[in-house]
Amino acid sequence: MKRFKFAVIMFAILIISLFNFSRVCYAVDRAEADKALNDAESAVVSAYLAVVEAENAGANVSLVKAKLRIASECLANASNAFRLGNYEAAYDYAVNCAEMVEGLVYEAETLKEEALKSREERLFVSAACSSVGLSFLFVFSLFGWRRLRAFYVRRVLKMKPEVVEENEHRGP
Amino acid sequence: MSIEDLKLLYGIGCLVLGLIILSPTLAMVIRLPGGERFSELWILGPEHLAENYPFNIVEGRVYNISLGVANHMGKTEYYLVYVKFRNQTEALPNWVNGTPSPLNPVFEYRVFLRDSEVWPWNISFSLKEFMFENGSCRVSKLVLDGNSIDIDKVAFWDAENRGFYFQLFFELWIYDSKVMGFQYHNRFVGLWLNATLTV
Repeated sequence: MKRFKFAVIMFAILIISLFNFSRVCYAVDRAEADKALNDAESAVVSAYLAVVEAENAGANVSLVKAKLRIASECLANASNAFRLGNYEAAYDYAVNCAEMVEGLVYEAETLKEEALKSREERLFVSAACSSVGLSFLFVFSLFGWRRLRAFYVRRVLKMKPEVVEENEHRGP
Repeated sequence: MSIEDLKLLYGIGCLVLGLIILSPTLAMVIRLPGGERFSELWILGPEHLAENYPFNIVEGRVYNISLGVANHMGKTEYYLVYVKFRNQTEALPNWVNGTPSPLNPVFEYRVFLRDSEVWPWNISFSLKEFMFENGSCRVSKLVLDGNSIDIDKVAFWDAENRGFYFQLFFELWIYDSKVMGFQYHNRFVGLWLNATLTV
Protein backbone atom coordinates (compact mmCIF):
# COMPACT_ATOMS: atom_id res chain seq x y z
CA MET A 1 0.00 0.00 0.00
CA LYS A 2 2.86 2.34 0.95
CA ARG A 3 4.60 1.56 -2.30
CA PHE A 4 1.45 2.35 -4.24
CA LYS A 5 1.08 5.70 -2.47
CA PHE A 6 4.71 6.52 -3.16
CA ALA A 7 4.28 5.63 -6.81
CA VAL A 8 1.18 7.84 -7.09
CA ILE A 9 3.00 10.80 -5.49
CA MET A 10 6.01 10.34 -7.77
CA PHE A 11 3.74 10.14 -10.80
CA ALA A 12 1.97 13.34 -9.74
CA ILE A 13 5.31 15.11 -9.25
CA LEU A 14 6.40 13.91 -12.69
CA ILE A 15 3.24 15.22 -14.34
CA ILE A 16 3.51 18.60 -12.57
CA SER A 17 7.18 18.87 -13.54
CA LEU A 18 6.33 18.09 -17.14
CA PHE A 19 3.78 20.90 -17.22
CA ASN A 20 6.14 23.34 -15.50
CA PHE A 21 9.23 22.70 -17.57
CA SER A 22 7.74 21.83 -20.93
CA ARG A 23 7.57 25.49 -21.97
CA VAL A 24 11.21 26.03 -21.13
CA CYS A 25 12.46 22.91 -22.83
CA TYR A 26 10.77 22.86 -26.20
CA ALA A 27 12.01 25.04 -29.05
CA VAL A 28 9.73 27.71 -30.46
CA ASP A 29 8.86 27.31 -34.12
CA ARG A 30 8.03 29.99 -36.66
CA ALA A 31 4.25 29.59 -36.36
CA GLU A 32 4.29 29.98 -32.59
CA ALA A 33 6.52 33.02 -32.74
CA ASP A 34 4.29 34.50 -35.45
CA LYS A 35 1.19 33.95 -33.35
CA ALA A 36 2.82 35.47 -30.26
CA LEU A 37 3.91 38.42 -32.37
CA ASN A 38 0.38 38.96 -33.73
CA ASP A 39 -1.10 38.70 -30.25
CA ALA A 40 1.41 41.22 -28.92
CA GLU A 41 0.71 43.57 -31.83
CA SER A 42 -3.04 43.36 -31.20
CA ALA A 43 -2.51 44.02 -27.50
CA VAL A 44 -0.30 47.05 -28.21
CA VAL A 45 -2.77 48.45 -30.75
CA SER A 46 -5.70 48.02 -28.33
CA ALA A 47 -3.72 49.79 -25.63
CA TYR A 48 -2.75 52.57 -28.06
CA LEU A 49 -6.36 53.16 -29.13
CA ALA A 50 -7.46 53.24 -25.49
CA VAL A 51 -4.70 55.73 -24.67
CA VAL A 52 -5.69 57.99 -27.59
CA GLU A 53 -9.31 57.95 -26.44
CA ALA A 54 -8.24 58.79 -22.88
CA GLU A 55 -6.03 61.58 -24.19
CA ASN A 56 -8.89 63.00 -26.27
CA ALA A 57 -11.01 63.01 -23.14
CA GLY A 58 -8.37 65.18 -21.49
CA ALA A 59 -6.74 62.56 -19.25
CA ASN A 60 -3.10 62.76 -18.24
CA VAL A 61 -1.77 59.62 -19.91
CA SER A 62 1.97 60.25 -19.63
CA LEU A 63 2.57 57.25 -17.35
CA VAL A 64 0.54 54.88 -19.51
CA LYS A 65 2.26 56.22 -22.59
CA ALA A 66 5.69 55.57 -21.09
CA LYS A 67 4.73 51.92 -20.55
CA LEU A 68 3.36 51.76 -24.06
CA ARG A 69 6.60 53.09 -25.47
CA ILE A 70 8.65 50.41 -23.72
CA ALA A 71 6.20 47.80 -25.00
CA SER A 72 6.55 49.13 -28.56
CA GLU A 73 10.34 48.84 -28.34
CA CYS A 74 9.90 45.29 -27.13
CA LEU A 75 7.57 44.57 -30.05
CA ALA A 76 10.09 46.02 -32.50
CA ASN A 77 12.74 43.74 -30.97
CA ALA A 78 10.37 40.81 -31.40
CA SER A 79 9.74 41.69 -35.07
CA ASN A 80 13.46 42.13 -35.73
CA ALA A 81 14.30 38.84 -34.05
CA PHE A 82 11.58 37.14 -36.11
CA ARG A 83 12.94 38.67 -39.29
CA LEU A 84 16.41 37.38 -38.43
CA GLY A 85 15.01 33.90 -37.86
CA ASN A 86 15.54 33.94 -34.12
CA TYR A 87 12.08 32.62 -33.26
CA GLU A 88 12.76 31.92 -29.60
CA ALA A 89 13.89 35.48 -28.95
CA ALA A 90 10.96 36.78 -31.01
CA TYR A 91 8.57 34.68 -28.95
CA ASP A 92 10.08 35.83 -25.65
CA TYR A 93 10.03 39.49 -26.67
CA ALA A 94 6.44 39.20 -27.90
CA VAL A 95 5.29 37.51 -24.68
CA ASN A 96 7.10 40.18 -22.62
CA CYS A 97 5.46 42.88 -24.70
CA ALA A 98 1.99 41.39 -24.24
CA GLU A 99 2.59 41.17 -20.48
CA MET A 100 3.72 44.80 -20.40
CA VAL A 101 0.55 46.09 -22.02
CA GLU A 102 -1.68 43.81 -20.01
CA GLY A 103 -3.98 46.01 -17.99
CA LEU A 104 -3.08 49.16 -19.91
CA VAL A 105 -6.45 49.21 -21.68
CA TYR A 106 -8.22 49.08 -18.33
CA GLU A 107 -5.88 51.73 -16.91
CA ALA A 108 -6.49 54.01 -19.89
CA GLU A 109 -10.26 53.48 -19.71
CA THR A 110 -10.22 54.34 -16.00
CA LEU A 111 -8.25 57.50 -16.74
CA LYS A 112 -10.69 58.35 -19.51
CA GLU A 113 -13.70 57.92 -17.23
CA GLU A 114 -12.07 60.04 -14.53
CA ALA A 115 -11.20 62.72 -17.07
CA LEU A 116 -14.74 62.74 -18.49
CA LYS A 117 -16.21 62.97 -15.00
CA SER A 118 -13.87 65.78 -14.06
CA ARG A 119 -14.65 67.55 -17.34
CA GLU A 120 -18.38 67.24 -16.74
CA GLU A 121 -17.95 68.72 -13.26
CA ARG A 122 -15.87 71.59 -14.61
CA LEU A 123 -18.38 72.15 -17.40
CA PHE A 124 -21.23 72.20 -14.89
CA VAL A 125 -19.45 74.73 -12.64
CA SER A 126 -18.47 76.83 -15.63
CA ALA A 127 -22.00 76.75 -17.09
CA ALA A 128 -23.51 77.64 -13.69
CA CYS A 129 -21.10 80.58 -13.27
CA SER A 130 -21.81 81.73 -16.82
CA SER A 131 -25.59 81.52 -16.23
CA VAL A 132 -25.33 83.58 -13.04
CA GLY A 133 -23.06 86.05 -14.81
CA LEU A 134 -25.44 86.37 -17.77
CA SER A 135 -28.44 86.85 -15.47
CA PHE A 136 -26.63 89.64 -13.62
CA LEU A 137 -25.61 91.15 -16.94
CA PHE A 138 -29.22 91.07 -18.19
CA VAL A 139 -30.64 92.74 -15.06
CA PHE A 140 -27.86 95.31 -14.75
CA SER A 141 -27.94 96.08 -18.45
CA LEU A 142 -31.66 97.02 -18.20
CA PHE A 143 -31.01 99.30 -15.22
CA GLY A 144 -27.91 100.59 -16.88
CA TRP A 145 -29.80 101.40 -20.07
CA ARG A 146 -32.43 103.38 -18.15
CA ARG A 147 -29.79 105.41 -16.35
CA LEU A 148 -27.77 105.91 -19.51
CA ARG A 149 -30.86 107.05 -21.41
CA ALA A 150 -31.80 109.48 -18.61
CA PHE A 151 -28.25 110.85 -18.58
CA TYR A 152 -28.33 111.21 -22.36
CA VAL A 153 -31.69 113.03 -22.32
CA ARG A 154 -30.49 115.42 -19.57
CA ARG A 155 -27.37 116.16 -21.53
CA VAL A 156 -29.31 116.78 -24.74
CA LEU A 157 -31.76 119.05 -22.96
CA LYS A 158 -28.88 121.13 -21.59
CA MET A 159 -27.61 121.58 -25.10
CA LYS A 160 -31.02 122.84 -26.40
CA PRO A 161 -30.85 126.53 -27.43
CA GLU A 162 -33.30 128.93 -25.66
CA VAL A 163 -35.61 130.43 -28.28
CA VAL A 164 -36.77 133.32 -26.03
CA GLU A 165 -33.26 134.74 -25.60
CA GLU A 166 -32.73 134.53 -29.27
CA ASN A 167 -35.88 136.60 -29.95
CA GLU A 168 -34.75 139.23 -27.45
CA HIS A 169 -31.45 139.71 -29.24
CA ARG A 170 -33.08 140.18 -32.56
CA GLY A 171 -35.17 143.27 -31.39
CA PRO A 172 -37.02 145.68 -33.66
CA MET B 1 -24.83 110.79 -31.42
CA SER B 2 -28.54 109.96 -31.61
CA ILE B 3 -30.39 107.85 -29.07
CA GLU B 4 -30.60 105.04 -31.63
CA ASP B 5 -26.81 105.02 -32.05
CA LEU B 6 -26.36 104.94 -28.29
CA LYS B 7 -28.82 102.06 -28.04
CA LEU B 8 -26.89 100.10 -30.66
CA LEU B 9 -23.56 100.80 -28.99
CA TYR B 10 -24.91 99.76 -25.61
CA GLY B 11 -26.38 96.58 -27.09
CA ILE B 12 -23.04 95.64 -28.70
CA GLY B 13 -21.21 96.36 -25.44
CA CYS B 14 -23.61 94.07 -23.53
CA LEU B 15 -23.22 91.35 -26.17
CA VAL B 16 -19.41 91.48 -25.96
CA LEU B 17 -19.57 91.35 -22.16
CA GLY B 18 -21.95 88.38 -22.43
CA LEU B 19 -19.53 86.55 -24.72
CA ILE B 20 -16.67 87.25 -22.31
CA ILE B 21 -18.74 85.77 -19.47
CA LEU B 22 -19.60 82.75 -21.63
CA SER B 23 -16.08 82.23 -23.02
CA PRO B 24 -14.83 79.69 -20.39
CA THR B 25 -17.86 77.47 -21.06
CA LEU B 26 -17.61 77.93 -24.83
CA ALA B 27 -13.91 77.02 -24.72
CA MET B 28 -14.82 73.71 -23.09
CA VAL B 29 -17.51 72.89 -25.64
CA ILE B 30 -16.21 74.24 -28.94
CA ARG B 31 -13.05 72.71 -30.41
CA LEU B 32 -11.27 74.88 -32.91
CA PRO B 33 -9.46 73.15 -35.78
CA GLY B 34 -5.71 72.84 -35.29
CA GLY B 35 -2.99 73.86 -37.71
CA GLU B 36 -1.45 71.81 -40.48
CA ARG B 37 -1.01 68.11 -39.63
CA PHE B 38 2.25 66.48 -40.62
CA SER B 39 5.14 64.30 -39.45
CA GLU B 40 8.86 64.81 -39.85
CA LEU B 41 11.60 62.30 -40.54
CA TRP B 42 15.29 63.15 -40.79
CA ILE B 43 18.83 61.83 -40.58
CA LEU B 44 21.69 63.76 -39.02
CA GLY B 45 25.38 63.01 -38.89
CA PRO B 46 27.26 61.62 -35.88
CA GLU B 47 27.42 65.06 -34.19
CA HIS B 48 23.65 65.54 -34.61
CA LEU B 49 24.29 68.08 -37.36
CA ALA B 50 23.46 67.97 -41.05
CA GLU B 51 27.10 67.30 -41.92
CA ASN B 52 29.75 64.55 -41.86
CA TYR B 53 27.33 61.91 -43.06
CA PRO B 54 29.05 58.58 -43.64
CA PHE B 55 29.70 58.14 -47.34
CA ASN B 56 32.86 56.16 -48.14
CA ILE B 57 32.28 52.95 -46.26
CA VAL B 58 35.09 50.65 -45.28
CA GLU B 59 34.36 47.02 -44.48
CA GLY B 60 33.75 46.43 -40.77
CA ARG B 61 34.08 50.04 -39.63
CA VAL B 62 31.23 51.29 -37.41
CA TYR B 63 29.47 54.50 -38.45
CA ASN B 64 27.02 56.53 -36.42
CA ILE B 65 24.05 58.57 -37.54
CA SER B 66 21.04 60.04 -35.81
CA LEU B 67 17.50 59.35 -36.95
CA GLY B 68 14.66 61.65 -35.90
CA VAL B 69 10.88 61.52 -36.06
CA ALA B 70 8.60 64.38 -35.00
CA ASN B 71 4.85 64.30 -34.60
CA HIS B 72 2.71 67.31 -35.56
CA MET B 73 -0.49 65.37 -36.18
CA GLY B 74 -2.40 66.90 -33.28
CA LYS B 75 -2.64 63.66 -31.27
CA THR B 76 -0.53 60.71 -30.14
CA GLU B 77 0.62 58.64 -33.10
CA TYR B 78 2.07 55.15 -33.44
CA TYR B 79 5.00 55.23 -35.87
CA LEU B 80 6.91 52.44 -37.52
CA VAL B 81 10.22 53.12 -39.24
CA TYR B 82 11.34 50.47 -41.70
CA VAL B 83 15.02 50.25 -42.51
CA LYS B 84 15.72 49.10 -46.08
CA PHE B 85 18.89 48.57 -48.05
CA ARG B 86 19.20 48.73 -51.82
CA ASN B 87 21.60 49.06 -54.70
CA GLN B 88 21.24 51.63 -57.47
CA THR B 89 18.92 49.52 -59.60
CA GLU B 90 16.36 48.68 -56.92
CA ALA B 91 13.27 50.80 -56.40
CA LEU B 92 12.87 53.65 -53.95
CA PRO B 93 9.49 54.68 -52.52
CA ASN B 94 7.34 56.62 -54.97
CA TRP B 95 6.68 60.22 -53.91
CA VAL B 96 3.95 60.78 -56.46
CA ASN B 97 1.86 57.67 -55.78
CA GLY B 98 2.76 57.59 -52.10
CA THR B 99 3.79 53.94 -52.30
CA PRO B 100 6.66 52.42 -50.32
CA SER B 101 9.65 50.65 -51.78
CA PRO B 102 8.80 47.03 -52.71
CA LEU B 103 11.97 45.86 -50.93
CA ASN B 104 11.61 43.91 -47.73
CA PRO B 105 12.64 45.76 -44.59
CA VAL B 106 15.80 44.56 -42.92
CA PHE B 107 15.02 46.15 -39.56
CA GLU B 108 12.38 48.27 -37.86
CA TYR B 109 11.84 50.76 -35.08
CA ARG B 110 8.53 51.52 -33.42
CA VAL B 111 7.61 54.49 -31.32
CA PHE B 112 4.60 56.28 -29.84
CA LEU B 113 4.85 60.05 -29.99
CA ARG B 114 2.49 62.59 -28.54
CA ASP B 115 1.74 65.79 -30.44
CA SER B 116 4.83 68.01 -30.94
CA GLU B 117 7.12 65.33 -29.51
CA VAL B 118 10.44 64.48 -31.15
CA TRP B 119 12.07 61.05 -31.12
CA PRO B 120 15.83 61.07 -31.72
CA TRP B 121 17.55 57.73 -32.16
CA ASN B 122 21.27 57.10 -32.44
CA ILE B 123 21.97 54.38 -34.94
CA SER B 124 25.26 52.61 -35.48
CA PHE B 125 25.87 50.50 -38.54
CA SER B 126 28.61 48.77 -40.43
CA LEU B 127 28.85 46.77 -43.62
CA LYS B 128 30.68 43.47 -43.68
CA GLU B 129 31.96 40.85 -46.08
CA PHE B 130 32.76 42.91 -49.18
CA MET B 131 33.69 41.09 -52.33
CA PHE B 132 35.01 43.05 -55.31
CA GLU B 133 35.11 41.20 -58.62
CA ASN B 134 34.46 41.89 -62.33
CA GLY B 135 33.40 45.48 -61.84
CA SER B 136 30.96 44.70 -59.06
CA CYS B 137 30.90 44.76 -55.29
CA ARG B 138 28.96 42.32 -53.18
CA VAL B 139 28.08 43.24 -49.60
CA SER B 140 26.81 40.33 -47.57
CA LYS B 141 26.10 41.71 -44.11
CA LEU B 142 24.72 44.83 -42.52
CA VAL B 143 25.25 45.21 -38.79
CA LEU B 144 22.64 47.59 -37.39
CA ASP B 145 22.64 48.45 -33.70
CA GLY B 146 24.57 45.26 -33.03
CA ASN B 147 22.22 43.02 -35.07
CA SER B 148 23.90 41.19 -37.91
CA ILE B 149 21.58 41.05 -40.93
CA ASP B 150 22.14 39.11 -44.16
CA ILE B 151 21.59 41.47 -47.07
CA ASP B 152 23.62 40.05 -49.96
CA LYS B 153 23.46 43.05 -52.31
CA VAL B 154 25.50 43.61 -55.44
CA ALA B 155 26.37 47.04 -56.84
CA PHE B 156 28.04 47.57 -60.20
CA TRP B 157 30.73 50.15 -60.82
CA ASP B 158 29.19 53.58 -61.43
CA ALA B 159 31.60 55.13 -63.93
CA GLU B 160 29.95 58.56 -63.76
CA ASN B 161 30.11 58.92 -59.98
CA ARG B 162 33.08 56.58 -59.59
CA GLY B 163 31.96 54.18 -56.91
CA PHE B 164 29.97 51.14 -55.85
CA TYR B 165 26.82 52.68 -54.48
CA PHE B 166 24.33 51.31 -52.01
CA GLN B 167 21.61 53.15 -50.15
CA LEU B 168 20.46 52.71 -46.59
CA PHE B 169 17.06 54.31 -46.28
CA PHE B 170 14.31 54.70 -43.73
CA GLU B 171 10.57 54.72 -44.47
CA LEU B 172 8.05 56.23 -42.09
CA TRP B 173 4.81 54.34 -41.56
CA ILE B 174 1.94 55.42 -39.35
CA TYR B 175 -0.82 53.43 -37.68
CA ASP B 176 -4.21 54.16 -39.20
CA SER B 177 -7.06 53.17 -36.93
CA LYS B 178 -9.52 53.27 -39.85
CA VAL B 179 -7.78 50.45 -41.69
CA MET B 180 -6.52 48.86 -38.45
CA GLY B 181 -2.96 48.69 -39.73
CA PHE B 182 0.15 50.61 -40.64
CA GLN B 183 0.11 52.80 -43.74
CA TYR B 184 3.10 54.24 -45.55
CA HIS B 185 3.28 57.93 -44.54
CA ASN B 186 5.00 59.02 -47.78
CA ARG B 187 8.18 60.05 -46.07
CA PHE B 188 11.61 58.52 -46.40
CA VAL B 189 15.21 59.55 -45.94
CA GLY B 190 18.31 57.77 -47.14
CA LEU B 191 22.08 57.70 -47.10
CA TRP B 192 24.20 56.93 -50.13
CA LEU B 193 27.06 54.63 -49.22
CA ASN B 194 30.08 54.02 -51.42
CA ALA B 195 31.69 50.68 -50.63
CA THR B 196 35.47 51.11 -50.69
CA LEU B 197 38.59 49.28 -49.63
CA THR B 198 40.15 52.36 -48.03
CA VAL B 199 38.96 55.90 -47.29
